[in-house]
Amino acid sequence: MEHLDYQFSRSHEWLKEEDGLMIVGISDFAQNALGDVVFVNLPDVGDEVTAGEAFGDVESVKAVSDLISPVTGVVAEVNEELLDSPELLNSDPYGSWIIKVENVTDTEELLSAAAYEAFCETEE
Amino acid sequence: MSELKRTQLYDEHVKAGATMVDFGGWDMPVQYPTGIVAEHLYTRHACGIFDVSHMGRILVEGPDRFRFLQHVVTSNVEALDLNRSQYTIIQAPDGSAVDDAYLYCFEEENIWLVVNAANIDKDLAYLMPLLNGYDCTLTNISDLWACIAVQGPKSKEILTVLSGGEPVTVEPIKNRLNTLTFEGHPVKIAKTGYTGEPLGYEVFCLSEDASWLWNRLIELGSKPAGLGARDTLRMEAGLPLYGHEMGMGQDGKPMPIYSAGVARFAVSFAPQKGDFVAKDVLWQQRQAFLRIMNRDFSDCEALPYRVLPIALLDRGVIRAGMEIYKGQRHVGWVTSGTMVPYYVAEGEGLESVITDAVAKRSIGLCYIASDTLADDPVEVDVRGKRLKAVIPEQHLSVDAPPFARPLIYGTELKALEAPEGDGLAKALTLIGKAERNHIWRQRECLNLIPSENTPSRAVQLLSGSDPAFRYAEHRKTKAFYDKDIFYYQGTKFIDETEQLLVEEMKKYFGCAEVETRVTSGQMANTTVFSALMDFKNRLDRKNTPKRLGYVMNNHIIRGGHLSAQPMGALHDYIAIDPKTEQNAIVNFPVLKDNIYKIDVEETKKLIDEYRPELIIFGKSMVLHKEPVAAIRKFVDEQKIPTTIMYDMAHVLGIVGPSFQDPFAEGAEIVTGSTHKTFFGPQRGVIAVNYKEDELKYELWETIERRAFPGAVSNHHLGTQLGMLMAAYEMNTFRKEYQQAVVDNAKSFAKALAAEGLKVEGDPSIGYTETHQVVVSVGYGQGPEIAERLEKNNIIVNYQATPDEEGFTASGALRMGVSEMTRFGFGEAEFKKAAALIAACIRGENVKEDVAKFRAEYQTMHYCFDDQTFFDALEHMAGVMGR
Repeated sequence: MEHLDYQFSRSHEWLKEEDGLMIVGISDFAQNALGDVVFVNLPDVGDEVTAGEAFGDVESVKAVSDLISPVTGVVAEVNEELLDSPELLNSDPYGSWIIKVENVTDTEELLSAAAYEAFCETEE
Repeated sequence: MSELKRTQLYDEHVKAGATMVDFGGWDMPVQYPTGIVAEHLYTRHACGIFDVSHMGRILVEGPDRFRFLQHVVTSNVEALDLNRSQYTIIQAPDGSAVDDAYLYCFEEENIWLVVNAANIDKDLAYLMPLLNGYDCTLTNISDLWACIAVQGPKSKEILTVLSGGEPVTVEPIKNRLNTLTFEGHPVKIAKTGYTGEPLGYEVFCLSEDASWLWNRLIELGSKPAGLGARDTLRMEAGLPLYGHEMGMGQDGKPMPIYSAGVARFAVSFAPQKGDFVAKDVLWQQRQAFLRIMNRDFSDCEALPYRVLPIALLDRGVIRAGMEIYKGQRHVGWVTSGTMVPYYVAEGEGLESVITDAVAKRSIGLCYIASDTLADDPVEVDVRGKRLKAVIPEQHLSVDAPPFARPLIYGTELKALEAPEGDGLAKALTLIGKAERNHIWRQRECLNLIPSENTPSRAVQLLSGSDPAFRYAEHRKTKAFYDKDIFYYQGTKFIDETEQLLVEEMKKYFGCAEVETRVTSGQMANTTVFSALMDFKNRLDRKNTPKRLGYVMNNHIIRGGHLSAQPMGALHDYIAIDPKTEQNAIVNFPVLKDNIYKIDVEETKKLIDEYRPELIIFGKSMVLHKEPVAAIRKFVDEQKIPTTIMYDMAHVLGIVGPSFQDPFAEGAEIVTGSTHKTFFGPQRGVIAVNYKEDELKYELWETIERRAFPGAVSNHHLGTQLGMLMAAYEMNTFRKEYQQAVVDNAKSFAKALAAEGLKVEGDPSIGYTETHQVVVSVGYGQGPEIAERLEKNNIIVNYQATPDEEGFTASGALRMGVSEMTRFGFGEAEFKKAAALIAACIRGENVKEDVAKFRAEYQTMHYCFDDQTFFDALEHMAGVMGR
């Protein structure tokens, strides 16, 4: 299993700490289940996000799915590249972050990479 | 939950790693590992294959099958001839749709009714009780046959490999069918589909052959596409899906059938349908529809909403169920919507290139208030946010095959850059450009367009001389024993010119009467059709005149002349056939082994069956003689009253022993244009062979009246004078010129074939009997190669052959030898021209070679070249120059 330094939510987002910011993306399992991602709805910088609640959505050809924040805090950066190239979430899910969060006050109960892999098997 | 049903191809989908979903009780592939976007794009770009075996196939048999179907579906089933299919709707008594469906006539004895997978039990439960009183049966044969939709620009090429070269459908037209054998396996093929692709087929094969066919199609370059791509493709094409754009509406009421645009051709009120289910309700809907189309929204009760395309302008994605607003007014709902990919095109028009760059747009269909017009701005409530959207005319265009092309809302063509400066500066620019163009076309180009010719210097000079600016309307007057009376003074020279021209042309045709005032071949045809209709109604002036029907002609895709088609000059004169509810046209059948030639025996059968009022010979892609004598003999023997006309637009200049003598062979009327193979400036002509004591001499008199004042008031008196000179030239040099043209065409064809090009027509007679040569260059390659030739100073037409879909799919070049023959080309020169063309097609740059070659052939032949004549011309030019 790659990405040992990532943690995962049960709603298939990944979380990683870098330079004091919490970085959020979606997992390979999530992008695979979604199919071709064609649009991403992003929050604005400065928006508050709440652990366990939607902060945006990601749309595939087939359907729209909420993006659930694994942390509570304030949006410090959004990946605007995804607005023009949402398919990056398909081609490179772990290299394509969605938001970076600062002032984190709460974190969902998260899974290690190995535990997430086991969790995904039950989701198949 | 009951067990999901599986199609004959289930194992193939699983093996390919498809994501399977429950679709109306069927376990179906929604996508393969490549994904919906890639599957959508591959279908638009190459060829997608779709398992549509889940759809219900119902065999309709029994002597009352037509009567039964006329009662329970909306279309006019009587129009369903052998090897035709028809889109239809099974209507509920309340005027909504039970289902939409397709009818196929693969065999004379039965009809296939193909319905939506999820609806088959419901449809049968609805239809079975209605069978009462009809000697007709419905049998579910879904298990016997599988069906694979093969869709996209490469589909025909792929299926033609499987058919061993046999045409995939009987004609390259939508809704045509065929029954064939694919490498030993029986198949039934329809040129139908649900993707909007101009090239798309549905292939029915026996259940046990399904896997074989599926894998064979993949080997030949197709790729599987799932229900996801099928949905995005049909949405982009604006096609309705039952459950979204038909059935129950978002307003909680059944959607009226006329709310979907397809109703316009799927619903018929033809008398032979009798009293069918929901006739009155549908009639009310139709009346509302007609009011709405005329922008009268005072009574939309029967049709409150219509299904229209919708395109999102803001970022985001529209989805089914979202509400649509105009300001505060809630006007409708999105019925289907998603993000749809497309390949970006660069450039404009025929030269636009489809690039590899992929873009996406959010589009869909909506159920929206009937007073909505195209270009109306609206807003869509996308999860609480109001996003800007618009109602476009359509999302996709199929009128430039082989590709379906996306229409991106708001795209505008570049405006032409006007020349800079004041009036004088513009005028000087114009003179400069005109001079450059003249030099290019006259001194540097090989002009091989078969409908063109350069007139001699004498014809050009006279055409621009004084009568060019005058008026000379005139009409025969009974009171003066049919003497022409002119309405303008100063016209005596013009009168004399016209009389002499008529006499020269009578001599040319060997016929009784000629009308020379029409100014084009198209106008000549319009005048004749108008006269025929007038003559038909001459004894009853108190009722609305009846149109002509049936009319037999050459189909445009088999080279038929545009001017002799309902879309051309026949438009206002042809009746609607009550059986098919289409123009009452019967096309000449062609020989199976030479599709450029009329099949005389089959033609006789059709004449016997349809008794056409008018038979029009003549084509614009013409390689062979028309069987005028054989058909004349047949209609005379069978005493079939008809009029035989020969539209000789293209071959007017080769009338005679080198080609055909229409009047000697039995034609009654000949029309033509005077500038293709003939030597004239651009005009038209009508000739007839009716003698004064014949009944149809009245038709001739009608033709004269329809020419003036029917078609022309003034009739271009300069070119009439030029035309007289052209007629003198033709009657003087006719024999040598005509023989040279026909010989040159054969030499040119032979030389092109020797260069390795695929020349159309019968090689045993030298490929052609006219001035034309047709060369195949590969499906869809015609426009590009013609453009490349133009850049190399070789001017030809790109041309669709009889098995191609239309001009943008053209795979051939049409060339003519008349103009270069006049500039002195013989066998050796056409051999050289063939080598240059072949080199250019291979990719070589031959521009300078062509210009150098052409520079040596500047002298016009087959015209007067005595010194005295030359001196007279110079004098005339001097007079005109002052």
